[in-house]
Formats: sequence, structure tokens, C-alpha cells
Amino acid sequence: MSQAPLAAYPVGSRRPRLTFVSGSALVMVALMLSSWAYIAFGQSWPSHGFFSGETASRGWSFLRDLGGYGREGTPAYLDGGAWAEAGRLALTTLAMSVLAAGIAALGALLTFMFAARNVMLGELAPYRSPVWSAWFGIVRLAYALSRAVPELIWAMLLVFILSPGILPGALALAIHNFGILGKLSAEVVEGLDMRPARALRTSGAGRLQVIVYAILPAALPRFITYLFYRWEVIIRTTLVVGLVAAGGLGMEFRLALSHFHYTSVTLLLTWYLLLVLGVDLASAAMRRLAR
Amino acid sequence: MGTEAPAEAGRTRAIESRRAITLILLGAFALSLFGVNWSDGVFRPRGLGAVGETLGAMFRPDLSPDLLSTAAAAAWQTAAYAVAGLTVALAIGIPLGVIASGTIARSRVGAVTQVGTTRAVLAFFRAIHELVWALLFVAALGLSPMAAVLALGIPYGGILGRIYAELLQDVPAAPLDALRRAGASEWRVFLFGRLPMALPDMLSYTFYRLECGIRSAAVLGWVGLGGLGFQVQIALEDLAYGRVWTFLWVLVVMVVLVDLWSSQVRRRIVP
Repeated sequence: MSQAPLAAYPVGSRRPRLTFVSGSALVMVALMLSSWAYIAFGQSWPSHGFFSGETASRGWSFLRDLGGYGREGTPAYLDGGAWAEAGRLALTTLAMSVLAAGIAALGALLTFMFAARNVMLGELAPYRSPVWSAWFGIVRLAYALSRAVPELIWAMLLVFILSPGILPGALALAIHNFGILGKLSAEVVEGLDMRPARALRTSGAGRLQVIVYAILPAALPRFITYLFYRWEVIIRTTLVVGLVAAGGLGMEFRLALSHFHYTSVTLLLTWYLLLVLGVDLASAAMRRLAR
Repeated sequence: MGTEAPAEAGRTRAIESRRAITLILLGAFALSLFGVNWSDGVFRPRGLGAVGETLGAMFRPDLSPDLLSTAAAAAWQTAAYAVAGLTVALAIGIPLGVIASGTIARSRVGAVTQVGTTRAVLAFFRAIHELVWALLFVAALGLSPMAAVLALGIPYGGILGRIYAELLQDVPAAPLDALRRAGASEWRVFLFGRLPMALPDMLSYTFYRLECGIRSAAVLGWVGLGGLGFQVQIALEDLAYGRVWTFLWVLVVMVVLVDLWSSQVRRRIVP
């Protein structure tokens, strides 16, 4: 009599159920295997292969070149003038990163409220309006598009439009990070505790007042934290957009590599690492201040 | 009264630090504007025309069958680099992350040295952008698919290791103490207490990095390693904006799909 219900619930069954998560894990493993198979067999390899003594000796001689061993003349990283010159470029690069973070922050600040579902379509929307819904969709689409295209590709497009310097690079970084910051901030607003907003609402505040007095003060500290995290990513990427956008350390780095000035490469990399370290420390200090 | 005074002081401090941050942010942004060379004009001659062309081509991508099959091949190459790079990142990030969390060290001194050195190594790995790693690998070893995979895997390994270390540290302490009191060795505490508690967040973050990896892999094409970025570059050299946007739309669709997949997975792992 009790057989049927027991069969319906296979207690102690050892067969793992295929859920979305376990299925995704399987897909992931399959992707990893096929990717490696494609890279191993579907790609053109140098004649000596990769895991060979040839690779090791090339790597070793590259490291020697970076150190300037066996080359005549003073290596660039021991030359005071070259340090100062690269330092000036590093300062320009820093300016590029701040400009990029600033433009991205301005753009995200002006739009992220429109991308929050609860503000535009949910609880805080006083009435359903197709105009607001469409605007919500447009802002979300703009975020998705701007962050799906990497910084370097934005920079490649922008160098055709803007004069060379730090501006095209900064704008390329800004467009990409605008999408990321906007999406993250909209998600912060969607995850906020809605009780303060409701309290204001019931005491007669309009939507704008609720946003200014309840939503923004709660969301801004997180926004500032994200901004500083993004700044740490931006400073690493300045070198990359500089490769095509002719601003800061990037262009010099590319030239030094293609002219085989390997000791300059070492010097530029040192400044790059100093910048990254400095920004990481400054960002950590500012995030502590913001907390 | 006595309890209100510290709260009041804390609030004043919070307001003051907010003012300081606002001033610093605005000041830094204003200073950075001096770095721009405004005197030569912002736009290139005929640059504004290029805006129209670029944006116009966004809605008129070149959809000829030949180009679409090229795009599909490039998309697969980009995805393969991203996934293979992620496996390298896991091979770096899991062991180094576990050591950098300082949770498996036997002694106090051992913990401090292990954490210090692995954290420094991880910080160095992720300080250098993947494309810079790619340039260095290509300069050192020549064009080879492994240059792309390693260039992606090393900085991603640095990021994964750091995040894994933090997640392993942030686990609640009470269940671990219970295991210890029941006589479990530090290794077992790690394997049966710490790891299972941190694993959902670790998996979730790894899936998030996959999404970033696709974008990064697309960019690696720029140094000549193939994939979507390489195709975009070729099309740009021909000033064929229609073709540029074909590849960019493929990239956008791929990133959005992976984004959806990873966010669905992450929502189910960590509610």
C-alpha cells in the first residue's frame, strides 16, 4: 500500500540529478577539453612546438635582454634622464586614468537611477508608463553594449575621431567603465532596503524626493567604493589603450618593444608597476575613508 | 546623553570624510583635465565625419555569409582562448589562493611567510594587464597559441588566487572550532569545514571571470594571435566599418550570452 509513494520519492537514490548548475559544470568541463583540443590541434604552432628547449632558451635570452646583459651602453633603467622622461609619461598616464574614471563616474551617476528596475518599473514607479519602460531598456542596452566592447577596441575606433593624446584613451576607458559602473550601481539600488523609501513615500514625498533623500544617500557609498575598484582596473588598462591611442606609457612601451630597446621596456614596466602599486594603495586608503 | 555623544561624533566624522572624498574626487578630476592637450583641438580633421560613419555602420553591419562564417570561426577561437586561459588561471589560483589564505600553515611564522610571499606573487601576476603579458610573451617566444593562453591565465590566476584567499578567510569560525574540538586535524578542518563553506562563492566568482575572459581574449587578437580582436583590427585598417560592427556585434552577443549564463548559474549557487 505504501509502495507507490515511496517509489515516487527515491530516498537514498545515488544517481545525481541533472540540475542547471551541474549541467553548467558539465558544459564547462566539455568546453575546457574542446578548447585545449582546438588549441593543440586546430592552431598553427611554431615548428619547434612550445614545450621544448628552444622555448626555454628564447625565454632566457629575452630575460637577459630585459636586463641589458651583453649589450653595450648604459641600460635605460640606470639612466637618470630616461627615468625622468618615463616619469613624465607615467604622470600623463595617471592623468588619463583619473580622467577616465571621472568621465565614467559622471556618466554612470547621471544614468544609473534609470537602470534600476525598482525605481523605473517597480515599487517606486508611481504609474506604468511606456516612455519610462522604454528609457529603462535603452539605458540597460547602452550599459550592455558599452561594457561588452573592450577598452582597446573602443580606443581603436576613437583614434579615428579624436586627436592623439590622452583624451581618446581616457574616453575609451570611460565608455567601457561607464557600462560596468552603471550596471553595478543599478544593482546596488535594486538591492537596497526599501523601508526608508516607503516611509518617505507614505509621508507624502514624491518620487524625486524619495530618490534624493532615501535612495541616493544609501547607494552613493557603494558607488564610491566601486569607482575606486574600477580605478585600480583602469590604471592597469591605461597602458593598453595607450598602445593605440598615443597617450602616456603605452605608446612608448610599444615603440621600445618593436625597436628592441629592451632595457627601456624594463624601465617602462617598472614605472607601470609603480603606478599600479600607488593607485592600489591610494584606492585602499580612499575606500577606508569612504566607509 | 552619554550614549548620544559618541554617535554624534561618529556622524560628524562621517560627514567630514564624505566632504573630503568629494573634494579629492573633484580636485583630481579637474587636475586631470590639464593633462589633455586642448590647444590642438579635440577632434581630428574630418573626425566628426568618422563619428557618423562609425555610428551609422553600427546599424548596418556587413552580413554576407562569407563574413559571418569568418566571424563564427573567430568567435570560437576567442572563446577557446578564454576557456583555456581560465584553466591555467585555475591551476595558478587554486594552490596559490589556498596558501595565501594562510589557513593550512602549521606554525605562526610559516603562515606569515607563506601569506606574504604568495600574496606578493599574486599581486605581481595581476598588476600587469593581460595584453601586456601577451606582448611580452610574443616578444620572448614568438607567435604561438600558448602565448595567448598564458597571457590570459597569469593575470586571471592572480585575481582568482586573491579572491579565493579572501573567501577562504571570511568563513564563519564557529563550525571550524566545532570540527577542531571533535579532533579534526587542520587539513581536515580545511577540507571538510572551510572549503565547502567557501566553495559556492569561489565557483560563482570563477563563472564571473569567464565572462571577463571572453572580452580579454578578444583583445589578445590585437598582438596577432587571431580571434575577434584581430578581425576588428583588419577591418579597421580597411576602414570597413560595416565589417567592424559585424565582429563587434558577434562579440557583444557572445558576451551577453555568457553574462546571462554565468548570472543564472551564480544566482543558483549563491542565492
